[in-house]
Amino acid sequence: MSLGLLLLLLIALAALGYVAGRQRALAAVRGDARDLHSLPAYYGQAVALAAAVPGLLVMVVWLITQPLLVERTTLSLILTEDIGPGSSRELVMADIRRIAEGMGVLVATGAANEGEIAALATQPDALKDRLAAVNVALAAPISAPVAQAALVYRQSMETGQGAMAAAVLAVAVAGFLLALWRVTPAFRARNVVERVVQVLLIAASSLAILTTAGIIFSLLLESWHFFQLYPARDFFLSLTWSPKFGGGSDLGLWPLLWGTLYVSVIALLVAVPIGLMAAIYLSEYASPGLRAIAKPAIEVLAGIPSIVYGLFALMTVGPFLRDWFAQPMGLGDSSSSVMTAGVVMGIMLIPYVSSLSDDIINAVPQALRDGSYAIGATQSETIRQVVFPAALPGIVGAILMAASRAIGETMIVVLGAGAAAKLDLNPFEAMTTVTVKIVSQLTGDTEFASPETLVAFALGLTLFVFTLGLNVLALYIVRKYREQYE
Amino acid sequence: MNDMRLTERVVTETAKMTARGVQVHYGTNHALKDVDVDILDKTVTAFIGPSGCGKSTFLRCLNRMNDTVASARVTGRIEMDGQDIYDPRVDPVQLRAKVGMVFQKPNPFPKSIYDNVAYGPKIHGLSRNKAELDEIVETSLKKAALWNEVKDRLTAPGTGLSGGQQQRLCIARAVATSPEVLLMDEPCSALDPIATAQVEELIDELRAQFSVVIVTHSMQQAARVSQRTAFFHLGHLVEYGETGHIFTNPSDPRTEAYITGRIG
Ligand SMILES: Nc1ncnc2c1ncn2[C@@H]1O[C@H](COP(=O)(O)OP(=O)(O)OP(=O)(O)O)[C@@H](O)[C@H]1O
Ligand SMILES: [Mg+2]
Repeated sequence: MSLGLLLLLLIALAALGYVAGRQRALAAVRGDARDLHSLPAYYGQAVALAAAVPGLLVMVVWLITQPLLVERTTLSLILTEDIGPGSSRELVMADIRRIAEGMGVLVATGAANEGEIAALATQPDALKDRLAAVNVALAAPISAPVAQAALVYRQSMETGQGAMAAAVLAVAVAGFLLALWRVTPAFRARNVVERVVQVLLIAASSLAILTTAGIIFSLLLESWHFFQLYPARDFFLSLTWSPKFGGGSDLGLWPLLWGTLYVSVIALLVAVPIGLMAAIYLSEYASPGLRAIAKPAIEVLAGIPSIVYGLFALMTVGPFLRDWFAQPMGLGDSSSSVMTAGVVMGIMLIPYVSSLSDDIINAVPQALRDGSYAIGATQSETIRQVVFPAALPGIVGAILMAASRAIGETMIVVLGAGAAAKLDLNPFEAMTTVTVKIVSQLTGDTEFASPETLVAFALGLTLFVFTLGLNVLALYIVRKYREQYE
Repeated sequence: MNDMRLTERVVTETAKMTARGVQVHYGTNHALKDVDVDILDKTVTAFIGPSGCGKSTFLRCLNRMNDTVASARVTGRIEMDGQDIYDPRVDPVQLRAKVGMVFQKPNPFPKSIYDNVAYGPKIHGLSRNKAELDEIVETSLKKAALWNEVKDRLTAPGTGLSGGQQQRLCIARAVATSPEVLLMDEPCSALDPIATAQVEELIDELRAQFSVVIVTHSMQQAARVSQRTAFFHLGHLVEYGETGHIFTNPSDPRTEAYITGRIG
């Protein structure tokens, strides 16, 4: 039974449970809902949850553990001497999975039945040809034990699927019946439902937290691997970045960090003044009608994918800056430059700054403005001396959030600033950032376990620590600001 | 002898501000209908009336704070020292420096206590140096009966004071620009009886220097602090006159009903 069908069955059972639970509760009190502990709908929801949730849990656990178990048993069929030179258990297992998948395709397309498949498993070469015919190509010839293992793998998986369906349905039906049996007028259905919903919510939020923790853990692990291969001192203190594929690379962090900070600073120099002034105009001066149009219009900027900004940098801003500034001033003739990337990134960040700041300025109580006007302050004095200082902590928070976005941005830098790691002061020089190098190190053709590749994780970790610090600072400041008015 | 008394009376009866035929509309809501009032110089005038009758609205006409409300439309004539304050040549900003205002809810700026009080004098350039500014801050805080409580923490944020202290800080802030008229919209509604008594005492002292207009829901307070009382009802000015007269011998039945507690 396929997974989709199983899910559909579960949903149907839950729906049935809702109707049945509600009916049974109402029937128990002869239709007078006031005699029930909870509203009738809660009895329905309780039964529906009892039918769906345990079944789903069984399904999830099964889906995670089954492949692990099956792969263990399959791999035990392969002897160590069957694994060729230059290969590994993982590679063999990947082959087995692929062949098993191919067998599935053969059966599904009607090219072979189960009996033929079992027979094919004993003739690896014929198997390979048949698989190639359904577009499952394999690089090397299939060895006999692998073909056998693939058959076993396929069969175990199939049986497992069936067993899972049976188990899930059994649990679901049991839950359904048990819950239905417990529906009596005194059953505290609302409490049960709320409890279950609460647990679901907790599970969802812990999932998010666990994912974050998992990401950090894998970053830390791979970074640790990197520092086993490459001295941390060189990484943190060296001023050159020149990865060589043959080994002996210089992997100094500074040129990249410098590029990141340089681009980000230029971006913020563009975004903060423009964004703030736009926010002040929108919240303090613009008429409601204009504001209703202008605010969404600015926010549209935030919806443009950064690659589009990158194209804009590459095609328009870069050549423009080169022809009108860099060349006349004798500062170089590269159209990729820190300036290009910084300016375009700044444009991208304007809506972040303006939209957040606008909300924050609007949150400054009108009473403060009135107090200032009543003393005889002009509008601009009021904005500069009362509104702006009151909103400042929140605005700083908004700027820090924009900064952490700037630090993490990749696309605009690739297309705007280039990929050359340089420590240079000239803003019209091509430079690059941490993020760009993470991409290029991981997409290179080097072995995964080499320092040239693993350095990406160390870079990622550095970046993460940076943006995390900025975000924590921003959250702290914003929270402090909130306390002032609430 | 008689002459002297006469001139004295004339001085206290000078109208500082005169309002004639003032109407206020908020969009289609006709909030204030044809109000005529004279605010006398060096006098405390109380505005009383049930909630929503237009007391705050009228008060806000006197310093053109209604200009900041987009839907508000003010017609009629309001003069201060004979000058129409709604004349296009009059800068509302200058007007508000002369007509100070204290709001119902304390609204100290998120600045230090010192800066809160120094805000107006700084904007209007009322001091030539730091010492003069210090002097203004100190006298204003003293007038608002707050000096003793805050003199050791002038740099602490004004928002950190208690509600009653914040209100007195706002009074000090308004007093610091030495206005000629001080408008107070229910200034004591957030205060305890002790602070209320202090503010009432302050109002009485301020009367020596300028006119005070106070909106209040407390009949006793109106009777205690004011010399003139105006009773508003449903946007109309029902009765205006000598406080003692209004409270002991009102000429309009609505006034009597209100002060004896039958409408409100
Ligand atoms: N900003 C505004 N926009 C629209 N209508 C307003 C505004 N301010 C006041 N009003 C209306 O004007 C009328 C008078 O209101 P006002 O605030 O002057 O009453 P009030 O006498 O001060 O009442 P209270 O004693 O409750 O403070 C009310 O009907 C009110 O709804
Ligand atoms: Mg009012």
